[in-house]
Parts: sequence; C-alpha cells; structure tokens
Amino acid sequence: MTIDLLIPLLAATVQAGTPVLYATLGEMVTERSGTLNLGVEGMMLVGAFAAFLASTATGSPWVGFVAGGLGGLGLAAVHGLVTIVFTGNQVVSGLALTILGSGLAAYLGTPYVGANTPGFGHLPLPLLADIPVLGPVFFRHDALVYVSYVLPVLIWLLFARTRLGLALDAAGENPAAAKAAGLSVPGLRWLGVLAGGFLVGLGGAYLSLSYTHLWTNGLAAGRGWIAVALVIFAFWRPGRAVLGAYLFGGVMAFQLRLQASGTVLPSSLLLMLPYVLTILVLLLSSIRGRVKNAPAALGANVEPEG
Amino acid sequence: MDRVADITVVRLEGISKSFGAVKANDAIDLDIRAGHILALLGENGAGKSTLMSILAGRFRPDAGRILVDGRETVLSSTKDAIRAGIGMVYQHFMLVPTMTVAQNVLLGQEGGFWLNRGRMEARVAELAEFFGLAIDPAATVSELSMGERQRVEILRLLARDSRVLIFDEPTAVLTPPEIVHLFAALKSMANRGKAIVFISHKLEEVLSLSDDIAILSRGRVVDRVETRVVCSKAELASRMVGREVFLEVEKEPLPPGEVVLEMSGVTGFGLKEVSLTLRQGEVLAVVGVAGNGQKALVETVTGFRRPATGKVNILGREWTEFFRNPDWKHALAYIPEDRLGLATCPNLDMVDNVLLTTRQGFTRGPFMEHGRARQVTADMVRDFDIQPARIATPAGKLSGGNLQKLVLAREFYRAPRLIVAEQPSQGLDVKATEEVWRQLLAARACAGILLVSGDLSEALQLADRIAVMFRGRFMDVFPVSDTAKVEAIGLAMAGVGAGH
Repeated sequence: MTIDLLIPLLAATVQAGTPVLYATLGEMVTERSGTLNLGVEGMMLVGAFAAFLASTATGSPWVGFVAGGLGGLGLAAVHGLVTIVFTGNQVVSGLALTILGSGLAAYLGTPYVGANTPGFGHLPLPLLADIPVLGPVFFRHDALVYVSYVLPVLIWLLFARTRLGLALDAAGENPAAAKAAGLSVPGLRWLGVLAGGFLVGLGGAYLSLSYTHLWTNGLAAGRGWIAVALVIFAFWRPGRAVLGAYLFGGVMAFQLRLQASGTVLPSSLLLMLPYVLTILVLLLSSIRGRVKNAPAALGANVEPEG
Repeated sequence: MDRVADITVVRLEGISKSFGAVKANDAIDLDIRAGHILALLGENGAGKSTLMSILAGRFRPDAGRILVDGRETVLSSTKDAIRAGIGMVYQHFMLVPTMTVAQNVLLGQEGGFWLNRGRMEARVAELAEFFGLAIDPAATVSELSMGERQRVEILRLLARDSRVLIFDEPTAVLTPPEIVHLFAALKSMANRGKAIVFISHKLEEVLSLSDDIAILSRGRVVDRVETRVVCSKAELASRMVGREVFLEVEKEPLPPGEVVLEMSGVTGFGLKEVSLTLRQGEVLAVVGVAGNGQKALVETVTGFRRPATGKVNILGREWTEFFRNPDWKHALAYIPEDRLGLATCPNLDMVDNVLLTTRQGFTRGPFMEHGRARQVTADMVRDFDIQPARIATPAGKLSGGNLQKLVLAREFYRAPRLIVAEQPSQGLDVKATEEVWRQLLAARACAGILLVSGDLSEALQLADRIAVMFRGRFMDVFPVSDTAKVEAIGLAMAGVGAGH
C-alpha cells in the first residue's frame, strides 16, 4: 500500500475514532467514580439528536455541540437519580437508559431524517497541517477532533494530578474510606455521572455535526457499546482509551474503503469487522493478564447518609 | 508531670442513643482530656462503638450535648467531626488499597486544586518521623501489612491536626511486635498533647497503656477509674462485670475415650511432619504465634484442604473417605475464627443460620421442616441465653458474644464427636468468654476438642494437653500439668529449644 493510500485511511481513522473516544472517556470518568452506566448508547443518540436540533435551530454548530453534551448529561441525570438517590440497580438502570435514549431519539428524530445540519467544517491548523504525513492525518480535521486530542490529557491530569481526581477515584475504589475522609461520596458520584454523560453526549454531537452532517436514525450504531467495552480494554486509563478508539476507528475506516472499492465481500460482513475486532481485542487483553485496574467499588451503590 | 494536659478537649453530656427498642447509650457523661489515654472498656454491646461513632460524626445522638473546647458542637457528619479535630481509626481500615500512603493520608484534605506528589510525600514522611510511625509514603497500601496500614490511618488523622484520636480495638489485627510499636506511638502522641481514646477488650493492654479507664455496661458508664490505682487484671475484670469474675473455669479431667482424630506425618501447605492423637473427652490446645501453620492445620482437619502427604484419620475413617460423605450428626463440628464470614451469613436470620449446618436434620423429602427448625432455634436461644431472643434477628445484628453462642448452640446440636474450635473467645467480653469455655468443656463428654488459640490463658484453662506450633511444626506436645514445660511455652513459641 502506498503512502498516498495510507494517509487518507489514517485520517479517516481519526475521524471514525473520535466519537468513540469521547464516549469512552465519558464512561471512564463515570466508572472511575464508582458508577457503571450502560446507557452510553442511549446517551450518545440523545446527544446526537440534541446537537442536530440545536445547531439547526440556531445555526451555530458550537451551540449544537454543547447542546449534545447537555442531552447526554440530561439522560445521565436520570441514571444518577435512580442509582445515587434511590440506590437502584446500576445495570438495570443503564440498560433502560439505552432503550429510552434510542427510542427517544428515533421518536423525536424521525420527522427530520435526511435533514442536513450546519455542522463543523474542516479547519486545517496553520503550520501543523503542513507537516508531512502527520499534518494530513491529524491536523486537517474539524474543531471537534482537536478538542478530542486535548481531552485525554485533561482527564489524565484530572486523575493523576488533582485533589478532585483523587477524590473521584476514592469514591470508586472504596466509598467507605472516602466517606471516612470527610468526602461526600454521593456528590462525587453525581459529578462522575453528569460529567461522564456530558462527554458521551459530545461524542453523539460529533456524529451528527461532523461525521455525517445530516440526521438519520440509529446514528450511534452500537458505538456506545463499543465505548463500554473500550473502557475495560483501556484498563480505565485515558491513554489506552485513545489507542482503543483509534483501533476501532481504523477498522471502521478500512472496511468503508473496502466497501467503496467494490469488493465481492458482502457489506454486512465488512460492517461487522470493527465490532468483531473490539470483542477480540477485549478478549485478548482479558486473557493475557486479567482485567486490571477496575475500580473496586464499581457498580456498588452507597447508602445515602442518614 | 504537669502536661499541656488536663484540659478537657471534648466533653460528652447526657448522650443517649437508641436503635429501636435497644438503648445503646443511656445518658453517658464523659470527659476526654488532652495528653491522656482514656480506655473504654466494656462487654460486647455495652455501647462503646456507638458512643465513639457519635463522636466521630457517624450517628446523631437522640439526646445530650457534645462540647468541644467548651462550646456546644453538632457533629452531623464525619466532616464535622474532622473539623472539630476528632478522628477515628476503625477496626476495618478505611483506606483505598490502590492508592499510595501519601494519597490516602491526604485524601479529602482541604487544599489547592493541584496535587504535588513530591510535596505530598515529603509532608507525610515528616509527620511519620515526628510521631515515630515509620512508613514509606510512596508505597501502595495494598502491599502493606496490617500494622503499616494502621499507621497510615493514624497519619491521616495526624495530618489533619486531629486532637482527639479514637482507636477501636486497634490491636486485634496486629502481631505482638506491631502492638509494641503501636503502644509506643500512642504514648508519644499523648505526650505531645493528643487526647487518645482506646477501645479494648484486653485487660492487660488497658492496664499497660491507659491513664484513665471508663467502664461501660448496658449503655451506661458504670465506673471511672485512674489506671494507676487499679492493682490487677482481676480487679479490673471484676469492676467490669460488676461481680467477682473467675476467668478460671472448673475442669475435671474425663477418662479418655476412643481416638477421634489421628494425624501422622502430615506435611505441606506450611505444615511439617505434624502428628497428633486426640481422644474423646480430651482438649488438645494448639498454641503459637499466628501464622505458624495453625490455619493449614485447621483447614486440613475440617476438610478444606486435602493433606498433601501423611495420614489423617477422622473418627476411624481415612480423610478422603470421611469427607466423601460426612455425616451431619455425630461427626465433625467446626467453630471458625471468622464468625460473620465463615460461620454465619449476616443477612440470614437465626433459624436459617442454624439450618446452614443442620439442615439434614430438618428435611422431609424435598421439603424443609421450618416449623421444627424454628422450635429448635428457640430452644437454643433459651438454653444458651442468646440476646436478643427474637429468632428472626439477622445474625449480623447479634453482638460477637451472642453470635458465638449461636454458633456453639448450632454446632453442639449436631452432637459432634470431634470439635475444631478456632479462637473461640476472641473478641468476646469476660462473661461471654466464660460461657463459651463452659460450653466447650461440657461438650467434651462426647467429643474430642482440637482448640487452636492465640490466647495462652485460654489454652491453659481448657486444655488437657498443649501442642506448641512453630513454623508448621509441633515443637512439643505435653500435658498441661507439666509445669516446667508450661513455663517454657513462650520460648517454644519463639522456636527455641525443640522438645524432641
């Protein structure tokens, strides 16, 4: 394969990986504070629709972007209410959220199917875009991709270098210890759930505003579930989340190219590829040395103070 | 010595707290003074832990006032208590195992947004040095021993300038050298003006460490005494239960019956060439410092572990054959050390807990005879004087002594012929200990008892013969009447002077 073929493929990899990266990082923040939210798929869809609606209404893609985040956050708030306030089962609540979110986005979105969005345009970064190879691969995208470059670093900084990150980790590892240290575990978990929901919603916003530039139903296409899997693959570390997201993005881009090249392979099989690969990678990383770093209290509710 | 001292940091006035019908604390007054070590002594369920949880901001009292530095203070959360300078080291450590020592110490502390790892570790190291609590601030907590983890807990309180430090049975998880270390640190903290509250069952610890003793019973402070005027353990014990305690139980030797347990040359899992013979009517006490193979011995006899090499015969049957289909009755009973973990299910009521090991006696076809089981449990509750007497009480709600009585009642219902009792009186108050001992001695009539104990006085009280274990080996086995050897147990436990 020549470099001329490879560069567009890698650039497409970054594009396809970005929404999954947002969602993976969001779910990671939520899980590290101790809450398992399986509603990522639903939050992404609601985020995508909210972003589409807001940007169409206002004409501003940035307003749409933030609205997408808020859409995810709103759905995550339901999860917070069920699991943190009423100590309901996290798995059940998350699954219900996926069903609710998917249904909501489809119900509200059907009238708009096929409508174009005033999304983000390409914004080659000065100087950086001119670097050979790296420039076209990484620096000739839209603004949301650049935001996603900064995000893992910020999240890494949050957990490794700040008091708040330490407190969030404590809420996920040993809530009793966090409480004994004078921290509010429900408060920290709310923060984790809402911040995570916001990031997942941003991932959804990327889908409607940057990736497709138009609204269709089922836009997330399982990417939310991929994100849940990638959090485990990433061992709850932001750096590995980048790797996982781009791995998924790479296969996604590759199979799209393959389809476009008019191969004899059935497209359904090709569409399966990124998902199959994610399962395989997850399987391999789990076999090699158990799943590491899972927050010890992940999925365990904390009785409200009384 | 006129210390900073004698200033009352915290005063409790008329503190009352009820849980349902149970009055855990009933109009308690207590002064906690700077520079003093105050021991809180009392039976299980006397209300010590409740009182301290109130002080640590975990519970709100129903009535009464808490004065901090003379000002009335409401402690409605752990955070409030921390602000007031009150901190508690819980029995089960409140640490995040995946984090480092320094991270745990500084968790939840006020301060800037960013963490500076170097400065954080330097500060913890400095504190550790100042109070003689040697520890590596960069070590991960999960890799630390229990003693080191406890130091992390203490450092956390010190880092917040806590003035009142409460310790809930701090020696329960420590090895003897760690206890020495802890006591030195506690004294050094008191000398630097900290107020220490020390909750314990162990009379000798209270005597050797504390300045003042407050004795709680049934939710009230029944006695307050300065430690230096207390003459002996016996005096303290009698003050504690309000009647003359004889931590001696009467024991008449029984004629040895048939052999119920025979081990020869059992090696593996930390055991080395262990051989013993136990007869009906006899108590064989295995003593030694914890971690010298007692666990492996118990697990082998109770069927958790297949002996790697050597022979084990239980009730005349070879190990494999015995455990292939053990009888629930007239066979083997195990009284584990871990009462809430291994012996019972905390969320099940007393009846279901009794059924855990006796269910074979309550089946008719595929059905359980619950009515009869309830009747039997009610009998046990009456015969063993288990409080509260409601058989629907979940096991987790019973105090340690009452739970142990339930376990004994259940196991003895099976009329066992071999009993393995592991630390049967650990964590129990004087009265409960005495009852447990009596029950065990009574059970000798039809059983042989293998008693594994870390408490030498328990072994001497109950046993006919004593085996001293060191590094998986029996150093010596001798009758308890052999005073010369009894004198030398300490040495044997340390591995000195192999008897044979």
